[in-house]
Amino acid sequence: MGILFTRLFSSLFGNREARILVLGLDNAGKTTILYRLQMGEVVSTIPTIGFNVETVQYNNIKFQVWDLGGQTSIRPYWRCYFPNTQAVIYVVDSSDTDRLVTAKDEFHAILEEEELKSAVVLVFANKQDLPGALDDAAITEALELHKIKNRQWAIFKTSAIKGEGLFEGLDWLSNTLKSGGG
Amino acid sequence: MFSLFYGLWNYMFSKTEFHVLILGVDKAGKTTLLEKLKSLFSKLEGLPPDRIVPTVGLNIGRVEASNAKLVFWDLGGQIGLRTIWEKYYEEAHAIVYVIDAGCPSSFEDSKSALGKVLRHEDLQGAPLLILANKQDLPGAVSTEELARYLDLKELNERLHMFEAVSAYNGTGIKFAIDWLVDVMERSKRTEMLRVRAGVTGHV
Repeated sequence: MGILFTRLFSSLFGNREARILVLGLDNAGKTTILYRLQMGEVVSTIPTIGFNVETVQYNNIKFQVWDLGGQTSIRPYWRCYFPNTQAVIYVVDSSDTDRLVTAKDEFHAILEEEELKSAVVLVFANKQDLPGALDDAAITEALELHKIKNRQWAIFKTSAIKGEGLFEGLDWLSNTLKSGGG
Repeated sequence: MFSLFYGLWNYMFSKTEFHVLILGVDKAGKTTLLEKLKSLFSKLEGLPPDRIVPTVGLNIGRVEASNAKLVFWDLGGQIGLRTIWEKYYEEAHAIVYVIDAGCPSSFEDSKSALGKVLRHEDLQGAPLLILANKQDLPGAVSTEELARYLDLKELNERLHMFEAVSAYNGTGIKFAIDWLVDVMERSKRTEMLRVRAGVTGHV
């Protein structure tokens, strides 16, 4: 009964919760982004084995953000986290041009997952502070984002180190989730 | 047996899904239009105009209007993003081209972008609805005036209509969408897309 009231209360006052997965190849900057969003500062990170999870409150939405380790050997475990996910934030190291093809392949494999069929997709073209980083148009092309036709997507240029672009992305995410998703 | 009837029922009564591209230069009001379409034709609320931010990707709206299922694809209009427009052409049944009628300084850019759209072979035969948007603003030009600005020769061989609307307050939108559904239902392009979908097995 208590739960019922809590639900009613939060649906009346717009304090929603959303489950977000942060995915991407290793060394894309997922963990740095997570803690930048949560604490507003840059933490020094080590490669994630397993996951980090934090709650970020923004625009009346409580984002439960899951940051999953990106190394090849642990990518198969991503799927354990897929059910009930409303959005995927896909992080790309925009300066790592050698691995963009791999990033693209992993990305489209994720989109094929049945359990993520209705999740909206936000791409962070990260590490814009590095020389040689490709811009959003180039990353759009490289990831073949235009192949997405059945769900909403957006791309933002970000620098987790400088804190740029991240909250613009969350703005988009909260708007999109509020207006009915993909 | 049941499935046979069900199939027949579906065949006779199911509505075709039309894909409609919403194009136009940045700040024309494409996403405001999309959100207005959602609130006019579906149960979804639609974002209020003051919450809308520039689109950098794809927004989607699924609605039912004039007894048809419509899927609207709203693509970002900034110059760097216009290269992705053409990736969506092949599957589109029709185009809605939005212009800020209150901002004559954008007409030149609008005109050249529209010319490019119309010359693209993947959009052959797609009906075109040109919206003179932002009629709620005092200085907005009429459809006649806008048509004079946009005298593209490509328009002569294209089924098209100009309509004065306000995505902000909803003026003119229902009428325009009724027209669009009507022409899509009868267009050769719809027939062509249906045949192609049948061949490759998509519905």
